[in-house]
Amino acid sequence: MAEIPVHFELPSNLNIEKFISRTAKKFPLQLTSQYYAVKTFYDSFDWRLYDADLICELNQSKQFSYLNLSNYSNEQLISRVDLENMPVFASDFASPVLVQQLLPLLEMRAMLQLSCLNLQCYHLNILNNDEKTIARLTIEEYESLKHRVSLELIKGYEKAATQLSEFFLESLELKVVKKPVLVAALKAQGRFPGDYSAKLDINFDPNTPAHKAIKTIYKQLLQVIKLNEQDAINATDTEFLHDFRVAVRKTRAGLSQFKSLASEEVSNRYSAYFAWLGQTTSLTRDLDVYLLNFEHYKASLPVAMRDDLNPLGEFLQLKHKTAQQELAAQLKSKQYLTPLIDWEHYLEKADKSIDNKLSIQEFANARIWKIYQRVIKQGSTINNQSPPVVLHDLRKSCKKLRYLIEFFQNLYPETDIKSVLKALKELQELLGDFQDSAVQEQALLQFKTEMMAGDYPEQTFIAMEALAQMLEAKSCQARSHFSKQYAVFVATRNRSLFKSLFVSKT
Amino acid sequence: MKIIATYTIKGGVGKTATTVNLAFLAAASGYKTLVWDLDPQAASSYYFRIKPKIKGGSKELIAGKTELDPLIKGTDFDNLHLLPADFSFRNLDLVLDAGKKPTQRLQKLLQPLEKEYDFIFLDCPPSISLLSEAVFAAADVVLSPVIPTTLSLRTLEQLKSFISESKLKKLKLLPFFSMVDGRKKLHISLMEEMQAQHPEILSARIPCSSEIEQMGIKRMPLGGYATKGRAIEAYQQLWQEVLPHLQSHQQK
Ligand SMILES: Nc1ncnc2c1ncn2[C@@H]1O[C@H](COP(=O)(O)OP(=O)(O)OP(=O)(O)O)[C@@H](O)[C@H]1O
Ligand SMILES: [Mg+2]
Repeated sequence: MAEIPVHFELPSNLNIEKFISRTAKKFPLQLTSQYYAVKTFYDSFDWRLYDADLICELNQSKQFSYLNLSNYSNEQLISRVDLENMPVFASDFASPVLVQQLLPLLEMRAMLQLSCLNLQCYHLNILNNDEKTIARLTIEEYESLKHRVSLELIKGYEKAATQLSEFFLESLELKVVKKPVLVAALKAQGRFPGDYSAKLDINFDPNTPAHKAIKTIYKQLLQVIKLNEQDAINATDTEFLHDFRVAVRKTRAGLSQFKSLASEEVSNRYSAYFAWLGQTTSLTRDLDVYLLNFEHYKASLPVAMRDDLNPLGEFLQLKHKTAQQELAAQLKSKQYLTPLIDWEHYLEKADKSIDNKLSIQEFANARIWKIYQRVIKQGSTINNQSPPVVLHDLRKSCKKLRYLIEFFQNLYPETDIKSVLKALKELQELLGDFQDSAVQEQALLQFKTEMMAGDYPEQTFIAMEALAQMLEAKSCQARSHFSKQYAVFVATRNRSLFKSLFVSKT
Repeated sequence: MKIIATYTIKGGVGKTATTVNLAFLAAASGYKTLVWDLDPQAASSYYFRIKPKIKGGSKELIAGKTELDPLIKGTDFDNLHLLPADFSFRNLDLVLDAGKKPTQRLQKLLQPLEKEYDFIFLDCPPSISLLSEAVFAAADVVLSPVIPTTLSLRTLEQLKSFISESKLKKLKLLPFFSMVDGRKKLHISLMEEMQAQHPEILSARIPCSSEIEQMGIKRMPLGGYATKGRAIEAYQQLWQEVLPHLQSHQQK
């Protein structure tokens, strides 16, 4: 049997009263309840629930308040949990079911209100001659969207449901809807599900002049900066500032990598500006990271020592509060805003002074190949005795290479780019572990010095020292694995892949 | 999946009322529940306003030609389904007898529903027959309403010996008092006497109540129109007493 459509939209000339009375003429029905309700949809800024095919909606009326978690694609209910107020973070749900389902997806991201709909809700039973219910209807009468009718089938009465559904489509001219009401609500706001991602995804025409193409990259990055700015100021969650800073860093990398595609004046001015912006926001981000890692730090200590670390948490919170206030002030200052507006204007204008004739394909090939060679050159000089600074330099070059490949990835075959990025990521991870653990160790010792001036218990310092040792060990361990990991990166397979992708065959 | 049969040799003692009301309570607490109306009089189908008719009748059903699932109907209550009766069920004994291993037939037919339902209630017609043997073979628990009269004491003993003769080890017989008139001194003293002799008789007692009789007019389980009162509380108590017997089975 063909699938019976169950979700419908009312045509705008049919109000609920008419819909009910016309249906009642053909099918005996009974109104079982009617109430006013508010439906609020939630997701993280980067659509983690939507990406996992989930819809999260809070339904509230005088009689109830519950959270529905359902599949986006087929609107099947997954769980329904009574809930009065929506927490900001998934970790704060009282219900273990919700924590279990949502925390792994949302992690540190805040749940934001996507859309809030007021509606009148009607529940009706369709009856047969014995006054037995043979189908159920739910009508949602929205204030500003097309009204919806959902048909609930009852086992063994599919024939009645088919007749009802045919009547809706043919006689009442209802339309079948395949997308949840959230999509219509977002559309009314000029939005659509998944409309934000911090990832660049640009489809270049390979023949576009390079200096034009790179402006598209800058524009997307600027968009990310602007979209995250307000919530980075508000500290809605830590990822806003993170995405903001990554876009700043990528813009900076672009300015240094694409020097030949802009005037010296432009390069110098904005390189300095974005460098300043990176520095201005770095303390808050560092503290964010320490606080995000805090539970993990504690867990890496012996059980008896864990609670001794708590005063460090309080110290970091205080420090963070001040840093965040400063950051907020900076991001509202002229020093921040004026150059950003100028930058936007610069990106809109055509730049006639550029006489670089390279296509984006040629340019990307050359640039990536050059930085790749730099990585190889730096990497191959490193041995077990090399000082940390050479590994740090290698890490910087790897980061540049990574950004370049990500900027231009759509110019290359997807699977090849994936394996190239995978090889690079593994090397970057190791270099990151090496440096970040060492940096964190240093920071920890610095905090200790600062805290010595205050009234902190001796055990806290002992715990911090233990943690510093752990971090040092972690850094050493990463260092000892370098040669092995680097050998994987420069294995013949990877080398020839880089060569075949990025050396122009002209 | 656990199978609960309501059964008595004698008719009109409250089997159907018990089936319908306990199934309602089970479903209301979230268990996926099915009632199979095995009685051609179709009383439980009637209470759920479902037409007592199945395609192919008893012959095709018992022969295993029709699957059970497409014959099942959703009731007006969440989690509660019904497999309706059919007039041809009056010949169930003959049909069973014509097939192979008649006493194992029901069990076999119900097997595919294992994953669909937590509880299946079998509402049986009165009398000792081949069908009742098949019911006993399929059931985990047999609920047997007993009206407190001297005659029913004998019928209960008959039933006990019938079950022990059929050597059904896993079957648990749970008798309980039904249609109890608390004003009758005779009822009270008889119940005490019987309970002393048959300690397996449950302590929940279903009163004789006009509210229960009204099910026939309302055409729905008691819980569909009454949320409070002696009658519904008695069924709740009965269900709470039966439930552990089903769970202790489940743990095996
Ligand atoms: N506790 C009760 N109080 C009052 N009336 C009852 C009670 N239980 C059942 N009845 C009524 O007694 C009649 C028989 O009840 P019911 O159909 O439940 O018995 P039964 O054992 O299933 O009968 P049968 O053997 O015919 O299937 C029905 O009219 C029912 O409404
Ligand atoms: Mg009966």
